[in-house]
This record gives sequence, C-alpha cells and structure tokens, in this order.
Amino acid sequence: MVEIEIDGKKIQAENGEMLIKAADDNGITIPRYCYHKKLSIAANCRMCLVEVEKAPKPLPACATPVADGMKVFTRSPSALNAQRSVMEFLLINHPLDCPICDQGGQCELQDLAVGFGGDRSLYDEGKRAVANENVGPLVETRMTRCIHCSRCIRFGDEIAGLREFGMVHRGEHAKVATYVKHSLRSEVAGNIIDLCPVGALTSKPFLYRGRAWELDAHEAIAPHDCLGSNIYVHTRRNQVMRVVPRENESINETWLADRDRFSYLGANNDERVGKPMIKREGQWHEATWIEALEFAANGLEGVRKQHGAEALGALASASCTVEEYFLLQQLMRSLGSHNIDHRLRETDFSDQKHLPLFPSLGMQIEDLENLNSFLLIGSNIQREQPLAGVRLRKAVVKNQAKAMSVNFLDHTVNFPLSEKLVVAGDALLFELAGIVKALIADQKELQDQTEQLLKSMQPTAEQQAIADKLKQGEKSAIILGAFVQQHPEAATIRALAQLIAQASGSSCGVMSLGANSAGAYVAGMLPHRLAGGAVAEKPGLDAGAMLTGACRSLLLLNVEPAYDAANSALAEQALAKADFVVSLAPYLSNDVREHGDVLLPIATFAENTGTYINVEGVWQTSRAAIKPFQECRPAWKVLRVLGNIFKLDGFEYVCAQDVLNKAQEVIDAANFVEPQWFCPAPIALPKAKTQRIAEWPIYSVDNVVRRAVALQESLHYEQPYGARMNQATANKLSIAGDSEVMVEQANAASICLPLKIDATVPDNAVAIEAGIEATRGLGGAFENITITKRVG
Amino acid sequence: MATETVDTTAEFVLSEKVRKEIDHWLEKFPEEQRQSAVLAALHAVQQDIGWLPENAMDAVADYIGMPHIAVYEVATFYDMYNLKPIGKHKITVCTNISCMLCGSDKIVEHLQQRLDIKLGETTSDGMFTLKEVECLAACKNAPMMQVDFDYHENLTPESLDQIIEKYRNDK
Amino acid sequence: MNLFEKIKHNVKSFLLWELLVGMSLTGRYFFRKKITIMYPEEKTPVSARFRGLHALRRYPSGEERCIACKLCEAVCPALAITIEAEPRKEDGSRRTTLYEIDLFKCIYCGFCEESCPVDSIVETNLSNYHFEHRGENIMTKQKLLAIGDKYEESIARDRANDAPFR
Repeated sequence: MVEIEIDGKKIQAENGEMLIKAADDNGITIPRYCYHKKLSIAANCRMCLVEVEKAPKPLPACATPVADGMKVFTRSPSALNAQRSVMEFLLINHPLDCPICDQGGQCELQDLAVGFGGDRSLYDEGKRAVANENVGPLVETRMTRCIHCSRCIRFGDEIAGLREFGMVHRGEHAKVATYVKHSLRSEVAGNIIDLCPVGALTSKPFLYRGRAWELDAHEAIAPHDCLGSNIYVHTRRNQVMRVVPRENESINETWLADRDRFSYLGANNDERVGKPMIKREGQWHEATWIEALEFAANGLEGVRKQHGAEALGALASASCTVEEYFLLQQLMRSLGSHNIDHRLRETDFSDQKHLPLFPSLGMQIEDLENLNSFLLIGSNIQREQPLAGVRLRKAVVKNQAKAMSVNFLDHTVNFPLSEKLVVAGDALLFELAGIVKALIADQKELQDQTEQLLKSMQPTAEQQAIADKLKQGEKSAIILGAFVQQHPEAATIRALAQLIAQASGSSCGVMSLGANSAGAYVAGMLPHRLAGGAVAEKPGLDAGAMLTGACRSLLLLNVEPAYDAANSALAEQALAKADFVVSLAPYLSNDVREHGDVLLPIATFAENTGTYINVEGVWQTSRAAIKPFQECRPAWKVLRVLGNIFKLDGFEYVCAQDVLNKAQEVIDAANFVEPQWFCPAPIALPKAKTQRIAEWPIYSVDNVVRRAVALQESLHYEQPYGARMNQATANKLSIAGDSEVMVEQANAASICLPLKIDATVPDNAVAIEAGIEATRGLGGAFENITITKRVG
Repeated sequence: MATETVDTTAEFVLSEKVRKEIDHWLEKFPEEQRQSAVLAALHAVQQDIGWLPENAMDAVADYIGMPHIAVYEVATFYDMYNLKPIGKHKITVCTNISCMLCGSDKIVEHLQQRLDIKLGETTSDGMFTLKEVECLAACKNAPMMQVDFDYHENLTPESLDQIIEKYRNDK
Repeated sequence: MNLFEKIKHNVKSFLLWELLVGMSLTGRYFFRKKITIMYPEEKTPVSARFRGLHALRRYPSGEERCIACKLCEAVCPALAITIEAEPRKEDGSRRTTLYEIDLFKCIYCGFCEESCPVDSIVETNLSNYHFEHRGENIMTKQKLLAIGDKYEESIARDRANDAPFR
C-alpha cells in the first residue's frame, strides 16, 4: 500500500495501481473515454490528463501508476487546461448531431463537453465523415461519431475472444471498422453498445425509440441461462424498451450476453396472446378469465374422476420461478398426482435419487476465472452460458489455465483447448472411463470401487494427458454441459465425471439447463422429491414417461413440448393422445394450437415477480417492472386461483412474497439426506449405427428467445439449420453430392433437410438442431437416425 | 511491379516461395511473438502477386495465427502495401507538412491533371497509379515523390513532366 | 370650513358641477379617435412572439422537420407532449410515429419552441380556436402538420421578423 494525495485528499492505494483506479475507488471523478476498468489500458484518448507534482507535463491518470507520496491535482489550472484542449481536439471531428443521436442524454462525450468543452472551436475546416458499417441486426453504427477510444476493439480482443473490429488506415483516415463486411458473431457483442462512450455503436432494436431520461430502470434477473445475470429493465409507458446489465462482480461483472440483452423483443412480440383462449370444436375462441379457468378446472377434474389422479401430469419449463414451481407442485400434489417434472430435455432419469439437492456448479461462478485446469464435458459453454465462457476464457488467457474438452461436436470456443476429444454418442463414455482409469492408477480404494465398471479399460495417450493436466492443476474443475444432461446415458456420464473429479481433486459441477433448474429441484418440481428435497413416498412419472403418452391430461407451464422436449415427435404424440391439455404460456405455440384445449396467457419475465436460484445456489428475486401484457396474469396468480377453484387448502396467498415465504418455510423444514454415489452399470459397447446429435441453438432455448426476431436474424451468418455431417459419414451413406436428404427417426415423421458437410461433426453422427420449427417432429437426440437420398 | 490477376473469391493459397520467406522471418522472432513477422509476410505476398487482396491477407493471418482484422490493420496502416491492383509504376507523393508547405498540393494537382486520374486511381493504360503517402523522410528537398523505389525531389511541374515522360518511354 | 367655502360648496351642489366635470370627460372621449375594434371582423396587430396554437413545420422540400429528439417533451413543464418514435420504414430516418400535445395541459410557455433544434414545433399567432367534442383537445401529428402547412407563410414571416432580436 502507498499513500497518495489527490486534490488534497490523502488516500491509500495498492502498489502498482493506476491513478484513475485509486481516484475512482475514492469517489474522485477524472474524465475519461478509453479507460474501462475491465479492459486493458490504451491511454489513447488523453482525456484523463491530470497534474502530478514534479512532473513537467500533465500525465494520463489511466496509465500512471501510483507512487508513494505522489501529489495529484485533477482540477488544477494546468489539468483543466489540458482536459479542455483534449476536448477541443475530440470535438473537431465529432458531429454535433446530439438531437438525432441515440446516445444523447447518456453520452459521456456530451456530459464532458458540458463540463470541459469550449463554446466555440478554433477549427473551421471541414469535418471528416466516415461510412457506417452494417454489423448485423443488434448493433447500429454511426462511425462518424467515433472518437477512436478503441474500447470495442479491446473488448473483442480481451473479453469476447473474437476480434471483429479493428483500427484500419491511419492518421485522418483512421477508422474503427470490420474491413471485410460481416455481422458480429460474438454472443456477447451487445456489450460494445454499453462500452461505446459516444453514439457510434448503439442498439439497433432500440434505435430512435427512446431517450435515456424517459426510461425507468427496474432491477431484474435475466431468465435465459443458469447464471442469473443481473439486469436493469428499462421501461417506458408500461413497455420494456431495453435491457442493460446491472453490475454484479460475482455473476456477470459488467457484461451481459446478447440473449439476455435482447430477449425482451420476444416478450414484445406480436405473437403474444392477450386473452385466455378456449378450443371448442377445433376452433380457438377468446374467453374471459373466469370461463377459461373454470373450463380448465372442469377438464382436469373430469380426467381425474374418470381415470384417477395418476392420469394428471404437469410439465414446467426449466426457466420458471421458484414461486411458480412451488405452487404447481402444491396444486398437483394436492390433487393427488406426483406426475410433475421440469426436465423436458433430459432422457436418463435412472440416477435421479442419487442427485444432489440441486444441480450445482460446485464452485463460485467468480472462481471460474481462477481455475488452473478444467475439463468441459459435452458443453458448448460459449453458446450455453456465454458469460461463463467469458470467465473461463479469462482463466485460460490470464491464468494460463489448461482447457480441455470431451464433446460430441467440435464446438469452436474462444480460448485455446490444450486437449480435445470429439466422439459420437456412446463412445464418449469410453473416453471418460479411460480418463478415470488413468487417474486411479495409484488409488487403491477407487480401483476396488470401480473394478466392475472399468474392467477392460486401457487409457489412451490423450486420456492420460487429460488426466495428468487435471491432476496438476491446483484448482481444477469438471463442468458438464447441456449435451451430458440430454444424453440417454447421462447417469453414467455423471457418475464417471464424479469419479474423475474425486480422483483428480477437482470440483465437479453442471451448467444446468434453463434459468432455474436449481429452483425447480429445490421447490420440489420433481416426481420423486418434495420441496426441499424430501423423498416423495410414491414417486410419480418423470418427464420422459409423461411425454410417451402415459398421462390422460397434461398441464403445461411455459412449455412448448414439440420444441422444448428431448423427443419432439413423442412429445407431440403425447399431447395428441391426452384428453385434456391446459397450457399456461404467453404464446399459442403450434403444438398447443393443434393439440391443446385451453390457453391461460401468462406474464413474461419483466412482467412477473419471482425468484431464480442460479447454478451457484444464490436466490435472486426479480420484481415485475411493468404490468402484464393486456389480460395476461403472472403464472403464480393463475395457479393460485386454480387451487382456489379446486377448493384446496393452502392457496390463500396474496402476493408472490407470500408464496416465497411459504416455499422457504417448507424448504427449510425439509430433511434432505445427501445421497450416495450412483454406481452405473458396466458400459456397453457403442452401437455402430448413425446417431443424431441434437443441439438447441443459442437463441432457441426457450419460448421467449425463440420469438426475439433480431436475435434470430443475428444468426443468419451461420449455416442455417440442416443435417450436418462430416465428409466420411456422407460418403459412407453415399449422399455426399446431394443438397438435400431425407431424415427419419423411430416414431417420427420423415422430413427433408438441407445437407451440410461439416468437419466439426465426428464420424457416424449427424448433427441436427432441435427446438426450431424446421426440425419439429423429429425424434430424440442421441437416438439412431436414418438418412436416405431424397427421391424426386 | 505489375499486378497478376488473382481470384479474390476463392481461398488463397500461399505459394511455396512465400511460405519459405514467412518461415524465414518467423524464425527470427520468439514463438509467442509470431505476429512480428506480419510485415515481412505481407511484403512477400505483395512481391509475389503485386497487391494484397483480402483473401491473401486472411491466408497470411491464418498462417501466422493472428486475427484477420489485425492483419488488415497493419496492411491499411502502411502506404507501401497495395490494397488494390496497381499500374506498372506507382507514384507516391508526400503530402505531409514539409512538402505541403513547399507546395505538394500543386504537385498533386498537376499530376492528377497530367495523368487524368485522381489520388488512389490507376491510368486507363495501366501505366501509373497515383497515391498520397505520409512523410518519406526527404523533407530537406521538399516537395518530393517516390516512383516505384526511386525518390524524386525538389519537384516542380516542369520536372514532373520530364519524370513522367521518362517512365512512360522506359518500357 | 369658512363661509366662502360653504357658499362655494352649496353653489356647486346645486349646479351639478361634478356631474358636468364627469360628462366633460365623457364628451372629450366621445369625439376622440376610437380604440375599440369590431372583432372578429377587425383584428388588432399581433406580436411576432405571440404564443398561440401549436404547429409542426416542414422544410420547403415537404420533408417534416421534426427529428424526434424529444427535447420538447423533456422540457415541457406541464407534461403536455407525448412522442413515440422509430426509424421510418422508407429510409430509416429518425421520425416520430406519434406526436401529441394536450391543449388542456399546455400552458403556452413556449419552451417547446425554444428547445427545438430544427424549428419544427412552433407556437403560431393563432389565438381563436375552440373544441366542440371531448378529445379534440389532443393535437395529433396530422393536425399539427396541417396547421403548419396552412400557416407556413405567417409562421416563417414571424420567425424572420423576430430573428434580429434573438
């Protein structure tokens, strides 16, 4: 620690810290453009010039390290003069178009021009103009306004790991540009909107639609991935105008993924249903809430009377709130059914009794960047949890962490992988088993425990290398991604991953699906566990069983089964088979339109009050920012009223907080016993058939983002959907030259898809996206698939 | 210095000669500083095909292991890289302060008139390309210009005409 | 009061002196030039700075001036202005989709006019207008533009006359 003096105020600062940081920490404002605490120091805007005693000239505060006894003056005549001159230089080429600039009112340059700008310029030559860049549907550019602070360039280089902008040409012709025209590809590119201190980079969906001063900021939680990023929802006249990040060092730092930033567009979409709807004689009709609720209750009661309570089932998405989960399970259990689940994308439930209280990362999100080595299993982390990807990239780039991946597809990641194994389907189990074998060579106890399982394993060199690197890492972690959870052998993979963690001294965690898997587990949204993890005496059916048509009636909470379920075809057939389908959702999706009976429109995230538990176990409550769209109601209210209509006890809640309090009470009182390790059955030889690998694209993970048009458009640079396979597989199937192929799975319709040759897909596998309209009606992920030539 | 025709849409393949040249430079720098070789690598490509199309820069970036945009930054910064195909002779006129004070504006104007092209353009007969450049360190004899690799100093409109004639006749 | 004063007072009282004084004033004004006018056939001159009914102006090319900067909305002390904006479909330029002034709320302070960077919203010299139905107090963008189109000549003249004093 050193002691310095800024403007006569004595302050303590860390050794080697930059002046501007010391000043910021002590509430002393120094103007700046290029400096950002999360980015490297460029010192190219020169706005932060301050006077330092004994220094002959003003020094840039962002690039001057503190020294003991340093005396700094930020407002002395010399400092002010320097700042004023810099301001004059910056304004030489900056257009005076504040009235039509979206940054007007929240612009750092505008603010400082008021503070430091002269009222006239000595410069009377022509201003320069720079052509705008078209960088896709999310970010709007007005490059003439650019002041060359280079924050966006550094963000791409250092944080996103994908340099898209650069400073091309020189001198007066220098400009920030992509040079080759293309859309931004980074999944966190939206952050450059916040970073840009002027109006050069602004939000395209928000373009011209509002002013900073008319917006009300509401604290909320982003409900699209398991991190629970903190956001501000900016509203005006009961409409969400935009979403910006809320700083939380332990979760999202100052960043926000594009999915969280622009998903509000889905909630504002025209497809929103504003009134309850009932299907009579194959036609949907608008209805009043009372009619619709009674229709729903009567329908459910009818099925219960006729077939018993076991015929009722409830499915919720993995992104609902704790309150909604708690009420839904309370409703269903009060009606006498344990058929409740939220794990629609999962297929293997055999180890469900052995799972922890909730799917957890097993470490702090913040600590991801301090890892020395980590192994990603079946994870496309950059696409699934973009900000976790940003953290891991930091670990690799700043901490020289060893990044390793065992995966079904060779996903591009924005950090170098030191080891990489890409195998199709069941072969992954062998790779993991090999790693376990390599790790336990000197651990007798574990050898005995796993003797049966690993009898014939011989670790390969790659497996040995992964094992060694995990062991060497002081802090190491195993992270399971979405593929693992969707895999039909998920239980075995989880068990093997735990063994790897145990043997290598790593932490083992899962990046759970949806935004609130943890909340669903804790609130008892499971067939075999009550709220708080207490064991259900008579376990009900899991999501897989329910969607194979075992339930005569289904209650859907924010779910679009044909898009959200592991097996789209089966899910739709289950809906068709059911006598009565109630959907609580903000939209009338195609599957519900065809097979549903009543739609109760519910509020989306900014309209709803609710609690999310993130993958770290942190409870975060998000309060409603606006009133629900038209006649929509928050789902917790709908569920409560359904409870009232059934005249059930314990549905006297007045507000969401009441529900939360009750849930908390039950959860605290519950007795959860940490279960034993699940010992999987010996691994069978991999099947030689061609398997499908189904990935939910980044902007198709839930019903709201699927309808965020700008997000969908931002993916247009990518190969559109299709059957992707490598050249060898295509040759084997003798379809290499075709542009379209017929794709067929068990119990599913045969559909025609474009054929894409993609080297990132391993042999004997076909990658076909799930969760999109084009592949609706296909069968399960990791199931066999038949590819045939298109006839005619 | 003539420009070869290059397919700018297909993937660019660095020729064996260029690869050797780049490898030669890569050897001079430590492994983590591979990007230091980019200047020499771009020169090698330019010597090979006369100019730097985007796909060639991408190929250099991939070969050295740099982001594509980082190579574009370098190539656009320096005037000696040709981002467009050029004529037989490349005329570069300094317009920085010393030359400007000694009348480089007039030189540029005269050249434009004489060659009937604007800055950055090539004459229709493919003979000359006219460019403006930053200081070429010959301030004492300003105004000056460089034709291909030769400096011509203390320029006047009359001397310009002679120089251009000389190059035009020098087939 | 002495005797002389008393006599003078009584004489004045009997001769209705004060009435005569009063009537003489009336008589003088009776023959002076009249200052009342026959409104609405006749009108008094109006200052170029008069703040009456609002209008939205256009450029001579016919392009509307308003660029949806929303400064008038922000500065309005009575919160009488409501604006919605988005990129215009045809050319992507910044335009309002809704521009409304509630004349019941408006206090005719003229701040909107002062704040406008493109001289779009102006207060004309029109002072005689009325509403017959509920809702007519809301001046929509169409109405405001129509007023602007109709009175552009006088609006422009007033601004030009006032310009030297600003």
